Amino acid sequence: MGVKQENGTLIKPSTEEETPNELDLKVKKYLRGDGANLEVLQDKKLKGQLAVREGLYKQSANAAAKAEKWLMPSEGGYLEAEGIEKTWRIKQESIAREVDILSSRNQYDIILPELGPYTLDFTSSGRYMALAGRKGHIGIVDVKQMNLIREFQVRETVRDVVFLHNELFFAAAQKKYPYIYNRDGTELHCLKEHGAVLRLQFLKNHFLLASINKFGHLHYQDITMGSMVGNFRTGLGRTDVMQVNPFNGVVALGHSGGRVTMWKPTSSSPLVSMLCHHGPVSALAFHSNGHLMATAGKEKKIKLWDLRKFEVLQTLPGHANTLDFSQKGLLACGTGSFVQVLGDFSATQNYSRYMTHSMVKGYQIKELVFRPYEDVLGIGHSMGWSSILIPGSGEPNFDSWVANPFETSKQRREKEVRSLLDKLPPETIMLDPRKIGTVHSAKKKEKATKQEREAEMENAVEAVKGINLKNKTKGRNKPTKKLKKKQEIIAKAKRPYLDQQMKEEEEIAKKKQKVSQEVELPKSLQRFSNKKAAS
Amino acid sequence: MGETKRKTRDEGTGGREKSRKKFNKQKPSKFKPQTKKDDKGKKKSGPRLPNSLRKELESLKPSRPLNSDEEIVSDDAGDEGEFYGRDVYEYEEEQAEEESHKNRRYDPVQVNKSEYELPDDLSDGFKDENLLSDDESDDDNGHFDGRNRSEEDSGDEGEEPDEETHKRMLNRIFEDLKGEKREKKKNNIVISEAYPESEYNPTRDVLDGAGQISITDLLDPLHGISGYSKLNKRIRDMEKKSKTVHAPLSKADRTKIETKTANELVKKDIGKWEPHIKRNREAPTIYFDENVDLGFSTVGAIASEFEPRTEFEKKMASLVYDDELMEAYRNDGSRLLELNKVSFEDEKERQNRIAKMRSLLFRHEMKAKHIKKIKSKTYHRLLKKDRSKAASSHIQLDPEAAKEYAMKQERERAEERMTLRHKNSSKWVKRKLERGLEKQDEGTRAAIANQLQRHEVLTRKMNSMKENSSSDDSSGEDDIDENSVGSDQDSASKFLQKAKEKTMKVLEDDDELPKSGLLSLPFMRRELKKKKEAAAEEAKHALQEYESSLKKLDDPDGAASPDIGSVSGRRVFGVAKAQTVVATNKVKSDNFYGSSDSEDDLEVRGNVDVANNSSKDQQKYDKSGSVVIHEDYDIHQDSVFKNLNDKVGDLGPNTTADVSLFVSGAWKKVNSRNEEDFNVGNSSQFIEPVDKNIKETVNELGDDSNSDSEGKMVDGILSSGPEQFYALPSQEELIHQAFAGDDVEDDFEKDKQEILNEENPEPEKPILLPGWGQWTHVQKKKGLPSRMLKEHENAKRKREEVLSKRKDAHLKHVIVSEKLDKKAEKLHTRTLPYPFTSQEVFEQSIRMPIGPEFNPVTAIGALNRPEVMKKPGIIIKPIEYEEVNPHEITDERSGPKHRSKRGKNSDGNTLKKIKARVKS
Repeated sequence: MGVKQENGTLIKPSTEEETPNELDLKVKKYLRGDGANLEVLQDKKLKGQLAVREGLYKQSANAAAKAEKWLMPSEGGYLEAEGIEKTWRIKQESIAREVDILSSRNQYDIILPELGPYTLDFTSSGRYMALAGRKGHIGIVDVKQMNLIREFQVRETVRDVVFLHNELFFAAAQKKYPYIYNRDGTELHCLKEHGAVLRLQFLKNHFLLASINKFGHLHYQDITMGSMVGNFRTGLGRTDVMQVNPFNGVVALGHSGGRVTMWKPTSSSPLVSMLCHHGPVSALAFHSNGHLMATAGKEKKIKLWDLRKFEVLQTLPGHANTLDFSQKGLLACGTGSFVQVLGDFSATQNYSRYMTHSMVKGYQIKELVFRPYEDVLGIGHSMGWSSILIPGSGEPNFDSWVANPFETSKQRREKEVRSLLDKLPPETIMLDPRKIGTVHSAKKKEKATKQEREAEMENAVEAVKGINLKNKTKGRNKPTKKLKKKQEIIAKAKRPYLDQQMKEEEEIAKKKQKVSQEVELPKSLQRFSNKKAAS
Repeated sequence: MGETKRKTRDEGTGGREKSRKKFNKQKPSKFKPQTKKDDKGKKKSGPRLPNSLRKELESLKPSRPLNSDEEIVSDDAGDEGEFYGRDVYEYEEEQAEEESHKNRRYDPVQVNKSEYELPDDLSDGFKDENLLSDDESDDDNGHFDGRNRSEEDSGDEGEEPDEETHKRMLNRIFEDLKGEKREKKKNNIVISEAYPESEYNPTRDVLDGAGQISITDLLDPLHGISGYSKLNKRIRDMEKKSKTVHAPLSKADRTKIETKTANELVKKDIGKWEPHIKRNREAPTIYFDENVDLGFSTVGAIASEFEPRTEFEKKMASLVYDDELMEAYRNDGSRLLELNKVSFEDEKERQNRIAKMRSLLFRHEMKAKHIKKIKSKTYHRLLKKDRSKAASSHIQLDPEAAKEYAMKQERERAEERMTLRHKNSSKWVKRKLERGLEKQDEGTRAAIANQLQRHEVLTRKMNSMKENSSSDDSSGEDDIDENSVGSDQDSASKFLQKAKEKTMKVLEDDDELPKSGLLSLPFMRRELKKKKEAAAEEAKHALQEYESSLKKLDDPDGAASPDIGSVSGRRVFGVAKAQTVVATNKVKSDNFYGSSDSEDDLEVRGNVDVANNSSKDQQKYDKSGSVVIHEDYDIHQDSVFKNLNDKVGDLGPNTTADVSLFVSGAWKKVNSRNEEDFNVGNSSQFIEPVDKNIKETVNELGDDSNSDSEGKMVDGILSSGPEQFYALPSQEELIHQAFAGDDVEDDFEKDKQEILNEENPEPEKPILLPGWGQWTHVQKKKGLPSRMLKEHENAKRKREEVLSKRKDAHLKHVIVSEKLDKKAEKLHTRTLPYPFTSQEVFEQSIRMPIGPEFNPVTAIGALNRPEVMKKPGIIIKPIEYEEVNPHEITDERSGPKHRSKRGKNSDGNTLKKIKARVKS
């Protein structure tokens, strides 16, 4: 899958023999952090239970690591330059000469000059591609078989197209509204509430269709039940830069003020708002690990951000109309008719030029999308769409439970049901989803305010006042006595509050005293203060 | 010591007993002068007699020897004498028996018993030891040898000679000299003294004076009998081991010790369960009786196991399974079949037929099922269409059917006209209307409109039935062809013509008035006439109108009557006006991303609309001739053209599609307008000029764009288009873009401040309320009270603290919202779950997913197994004790352990099992 040969330069598959150290590393990866320090625990029973658990975790991680080591069928590769060569000088033609037939079939240009710049979208397995021409051409292609499944014209502007949970359904943002079609091109729904949508995104774990329309309204619609989950005004103007963070489902928008805002469907204000550029933000992309974001600004800068610290990692010069991260972390940027792929092979978050590709002059690139599980970059441009090889971009091994390119219809059906059962509610979208289930104590007020305390006291008093006193025997039932008794009860009810108040006041007074003592007295008076302290 | 004990106790109870005892005890001491001192001491501590009594006693026996001992004795005796009125000696006789009782206590076995009965204080014990030795010596003295003893006894009975006492004294002195011997013999003596009580020791021996019986004497006759040696040995052991026995402990202490020992025992007994408990506690999962057979699982299994038990059942079984019967049945059945003879061909044919029918039926069924299962709306819609089409074709083909259909239609129409069922007459609609149509939601309004429409459809005459009035903006889009649009003008004139004809007909029609029935009544007739006249007038009027409109239609300039023009103008554009304004505004609002052509599209549309609109307005108010209007149109035409031109310039190849779209949109509008006008029955010549204009522009545009795009396509590149696009933005926009960065930061900072203020509001500034807390200007000079200032400062400081704790405190260009998401609250725990005490440990314990997607099969089961595994229906038996090696480490905790444990359970019977039992 990922092994490509180069003239002179070899694509280096990672070394066969893996040291036990590497296995350890894998185990560590699968352990997802250290176990708790059980020695500190007082509770013996809990300690025992946790120890058993940890043992199981270790066992599981070991098994997973071993499976990864021995059962992964293929290894990823990448271009490696020899001597004076540079990887970015290598042309697609020279790659084509070296690779196998199956891979070379992935290099092609499809010219569709009439119906304007094309946008693309792949299914999560990378098998199917949806494409939408600006002027109303919509099509679905099986890219594995190079088989056109369906194409049709809607005769109005189509701005974006996105697959829903599988290849059977897709949504297209058309002139007035977004529509949902099935694979045969039958219109299933018209989502009028969204308005004239500029960009669509689908959150496949939550089954949410997110859209941003001309007026800068962000909509979230649950496509299973059809309910509108969120509808927010961004208040930052029109934008067609939108991308979902695949790690946590947070939707990021790039605005004309150079801002990037991140949204979730349960809050009307952005989770994070970052000033990323001085010019308008032209493109945005997320690494699949969720903490690396790339933004491109109109002021000719591409920036890489660490989302854990919200800091710039790297600033690169250059325009980009479109950005995309591959599964293996390559970053493709496209401007005009020029594609550049940046790579990070030193694993130091330092992206440098890896490959370049220039299209026929005059082709305007609309969108770049890496094809999942393949070393292929899809380019939608004004004259159709193209596909080029970028060695080392795709994940070499697919997990058929996650995304299976060879899925049968039965498997697809089963998967659909399972994914519907596993559908996450929209509130699980948050910046750090690993925090789910942890302790999150409500912001407790340290002290009730004075008013609250007074109110409480009043309530207590009121409650007491309502009590009816028993009538005593004749002669003991004097009104004065009754009154006295009542007052006593009230005083009793008040007492705890007053006591508390007194205590607090005392504390404050003590503090004050301390403070005042710390303040140096004039020399002549110091001896008195000492005396007082002594006594 | 036991004796003293009793004495002390007796002291409390009664003087008589006490004195008697004392006498007893002191009686032997009478004979031993050495212990006189002791006796004296005892006497001192003894009971006190009142002086008067003593005096009396003295006076009674004044001739007593001066021996103090004697005196005391006499004292006591006197006492006795006084109480009982008896002779001292008589009393002593009785005393002898008593003494024997007392002495019996010295029998070693019995002493032991009594010791436990009478617990004593330590101090008492101390005292007693002294006394005991004393007593012992007494006793020893008394029982030194058998002869002495007997003498004493005899002396007790008879007179005591003086020589004898003397001799005894001497003897004792000798005795003291050889104390060891005395010690040795002590036991013997003790035993011998037990005689008076014993049933086996007749008093005759004593009377005979044959001496005492030792235990050896008792044993001798047993010599030779089995068990003798044992007994002998025991006795000897007893003799050897005999020692002083301590006083019994107090009851409290004793119970304490007892409970302690019992506790230890119980602990030891229970301790054997410890490994079990430990094992169960440490086990992540406990299994209960895994391999118990729960019996039959199915009804069939139960049935197969059935055995006839009762008489009846057996009889039934014998009948049912009788071979003969079965045979007979088989034979009979086959013979029956033999009887009806059927030819082979017939049978085959029949079978074939049936098979065919069946398969047909089956197929049909399957098909029906399949069709029934289809849920697609599209499919059903198509199906419906097909059905209606088929019906219509049927009608067309078959005159009968057509007739029927027409009849039906007629009937429906009549019904509708009669009942006015769909004319807002239903209860529901009335209620809705009462509330006001504006207040209803869209669905209701649509429903009301629908039924009105239905009414219209139903009440329409047969000829106009084919006209479809449902021309929605959205749905009618694809249906409209250019042809139909093109023929609009023609159709209009035709329509008018028709209408004219009809009205003429109506006018000419002079139907007679009914001569009978309800309508023949005079007032009805009058009414009818009136109506008819009115109708005729109306028809005439209409005719006139038709004519005029026809004329206008013929007029190419379209000199519309201003009246009609205004009407149509209002109708068509009244709404559009507002829309366009909004649209243009919207367009202007954010034109930064000018790349989208739809934007321009909209603009163009808006302009067209506005243009048209304004023209209408002008028409309405301007009553001048058509020249002006013409000019107007020109202007608008220009503007439209210009817009479109711009667009062409903008977007090269894009334009064609867009223009066509636009055009189609325009057509759509025009169409709808036409229809509306026709429905109303008014002329619509007004539209024509607009249409024309648009047509022209479209044509021109089409040419332009075509030539444009073609020209550019030659290169195969779209170079010119986009370049032009970048050149196009206005100067202002360019400047804005170029200097966009300047105030971006400020804006952001401002926003951040706003958000911070929103999430942590700034404290209010203290204000001085005039008249509150101040009378004169003096306080004004002082300024605000310090309390207020302090409060304000505190609040400020607090806010600063909170702000500094925020995540984005040190990030200048980032705002991280700290708003609490209430919906996400439920995904967190408020408090630590029970066994956990530290948050860190808890969070680390849940870090690993336990689902099947994240773990290998080997670990999933163990990770998710519940604490107790038990099949439904199993009865959990109480725990049984089985020997477990507490030192063996159960290291297999997961799957393998599970298996091993099961194994253990299965062969648990072979293991040694001991029922648990706890000693009480």
